[in-house]
Amino acid sequence: MNEAQDRMIERVRETLRTTPDAAPDPRAVGRLLNTVWESPRPSAWRRLLDAWRVPALSALGASAVAGFALFVGFLTRGALGERLEREPLSATGEFPVQPGATPVMQAAAFAGESAPVLTQFVLDRRDARSVSLVGDFNDWKGGSTPLTRLESGLWTVSVPLAPGRHVYAYLIDGTLVQADPRAPKSDDADYGREGSVVMVFAR
Amino acid sequence: MNMHRRVLTLVALVLASVSAARAQARGPAVLPIADAKARVAVEREIARAEARGLPTQPLIAKAMEGVAKQAPGEQIEAAVASMAKRLEQARTLLAPSTSAAELASGAEALRAGVPAAMLKQVRAAWPVERSVVMPLDVLTELVARKIPAKHALEQITALMRRGATPSQIASLGQAVQADVASGLEPDAALEVRARGVMSLLPSPASVAAGAPRGSGKQ
Repeated sequence: MNEAQDRMIERVRETLRTTPDAAPDPRAVGRLLNTVWESPRPSAWRRLLDAWRVPALSALGASAVAGFALFVGFLTRGALGERLEREPLSATGEFPVQPGATPVMQAAAFAGESAPVLTQFVLDRRDARSVSLVGDFNDWKGGSTPLTRLESGLWTVSVPLAPGRHVYAYLIDGTLVQADPRAPKSDDADYGREGSVVMVFAR
Repeated sequence: MNMHRRVLTLVALVLASVSAARAQARGPAVLPIADAKARVAVEREIARAEARGLPTQPLIAKAMEGVAKQAPGEQIEAAVASMAKRLEQARTLLAPSTSAAELASGAEALRAGVPAAMLKQVRAAWPVERSVVMPLDVLTELVARKIPAKHALEQITALMRRGATPSQIASLGQAVQADVASGLEPDAALEVRARGVMSLLPSPASVAAGAPRGSGKQ
């Protein structure tokens, strides 16, 4: 309890001491209510300070809360912060997939020069069981950006990409890396497996 | 006093949990490289790069690219080490730019065969507060399409100095890409497309007078 509350309780006690036992006397009740009403209301800063000084948790409870926070932090491991940078949002279903006929088609979904641009990828591999997009924008993580199979048999996905040049490929059935047959190729001096290039910019 | 101690304990625990979570977020990722020796070497390379203040995301991406392409461990190790060297070089050449995106673009330009001195020239063509990611990316793309680096640099820096936006510079790269794919000579494609973009820009006099252009911040 804080000092203001202590003072108020003291005044209430004094008031009750002078109040006949035969209460409820309306005047006595009135005095009591006035005492409570007149007690100074602590300032917002004072209440904030009191809340800080008087924890609602015991040391054990605080430890449990901190432990839980640690556990949650361990599980997420910065996933929220990294998501925009690394994981295409379409993988989470937050961006609509826009099917189309062009292998690589960009749509300016956002204004501004540096805002991500929704970019559609389309692959015609009717024999594939699964197709995912891998590239520098998703750290080449297989399976993180799966394509959806349309009724026509084409595979497609739309992902928001940062403006610039991106190198990518398709991962077919989880293992085979294939360049986009209808996009410009990118030499791969490091691994000897060419990829494809897409230039992304706001139109 | 006892309460103060409790509060301090609570604050310390919460701060510890937050910093531990952040450390987990930043710390070395466990890369799925089957070759344990190569994995350790790659993770050590990434940790060294981080200690030197280099961005680690391009290195992780390079390692993961090797994993996706089922490259042998030592090839992944060599590719990551080479990437780290290029990032370091790009940082020197693009100074004072330090953004991860710019360093990654600079490293990619060097890998594509853009001469080192050209990175400095690109950086110098725009004020320091403007990102040169797009000009570098387009330069890389033009060189990848077999356009002589000198010719590509001249056109790009001319557009930059005339106040072209990153999108306008990117449109040049994409148009040339499409022209080359359809069979046009790369040099001819660059010349005609650069002329097209240039015609959209204000006259040199109005640029010199400080006419406002798109921010182009990246």
